[in-house]
Amino acid sequence: MNGLLIALLLGITSTAALAHQPVVDMAPRWNGGYGFQTRVEHANSDTITWLEGVYTFKPAVRMTLKIPYGRDGLGNSIFAVPLKQYKNAAQSTSNWGLTPSVRVPTGGGNDWDGGLSLSYSSESVGIYQLYDVHFLGDRRGLDINVGTVYPDGRGSAWFTLWDVTAVDSDSGQRILTGPVLVYFRRNIAARLEYKLAAYDHDDEWSGNYLSFTLGIVY
Amino acid sequence: MKNLTVSVCLFMLFATPAIAQNYIVNVHGMVCELCSLGVAKNIRKLSFVDAAKYDDGVQVDVENQTVFVAVSDDASLDKQALFAAIEEGGYSPVGIWRLTDSGERLELQ
Repeated sequence: MNGLLIALLLGITSTAALAHQPVVDMAPRWNGGYGFQTRVEHANSDTITWLEGVYTFKPAVRMTLKIPYGRDGLGNSIFAVPLKQYKNAAQSTSNWGLTPSVRVPTGGGNDWDGGLSLSYSSESVGIYQLYDVHFLGDRRGLDINVGTVYPDGRGSAWFTLWDVTAVDSDSGQRILTGPVLVYFRRNIAARLEYKLAAYDHDDEWSGNYLSFTLGIVY
Repeated sequence: MKNLTVSVCLFMLFATPAIAQNYIVNVHGMVCELCSLGVAKNIRKLSFVDAAKYDDGVQVDVENQTVFVAVSDDASLDKQALFAAIEEGGYSPVGIWRLTDSGERLELQ
């Protein structure tokens, strides 16, 4: 019974696990590319570590797996197949994404949940933006990242973004917002994110959100 | 006199520097170095790339959306293979130029 309760708690997935894809939403977008990232997030008075992997068959088709691990063990994993339609222009690149997903009861129980995400992102030399609407199980959400990019011309760059997240579920509604810092050097990327609960009316979630992500792509 | 002529000819032959084969490709969409790692990775796999130049034969410039490619002296550029490698890296090559020793760019058709 205790195990089932823990699994259900871990099944209450953060929006970061639904709206964002490894590695830091950007790579790999090349044939045969793969990557890993670990995201440690503190939210709802709990800390969960996500181990996430991605394999790109070709720029338009990839698959991802996200496995959560909390203080009480393994949670429910999310398997997804992001499908992307890229458009490359002279000074920018953009893509529409459609991501079907399934939450697998690896943490216990027998409940499988289906989900879907529709996203749009674009990047120029100076500006990055990502918009994502999604649902998984009983959770529906909107995630927006907009900000500036500072490449140094030697293989690394800083992204300073602002995040707005809105979540609606059977247990209530929340809006969180805050800054995001993304840094990468060659094939290693990191993302630091802190969001304040601007609207907090949820029976199962409360408080602010903090996460740190470290990833690598090949 | 004959020996001197032969020697001079041999000197001139071997003293003539090899013509560098450096190319620059304009790539639409390539504005992020992390996302474009696959472009460099794919180009490095091509047999005609000279790994001794640039960064293992390739240099990516996201600010100008260009890729510099060095081709070995004893090989020739396969433009079709180069463009395919860039497309498989997720981006769109739209033009290619040969860089002369004097820095001029000669567009290839």
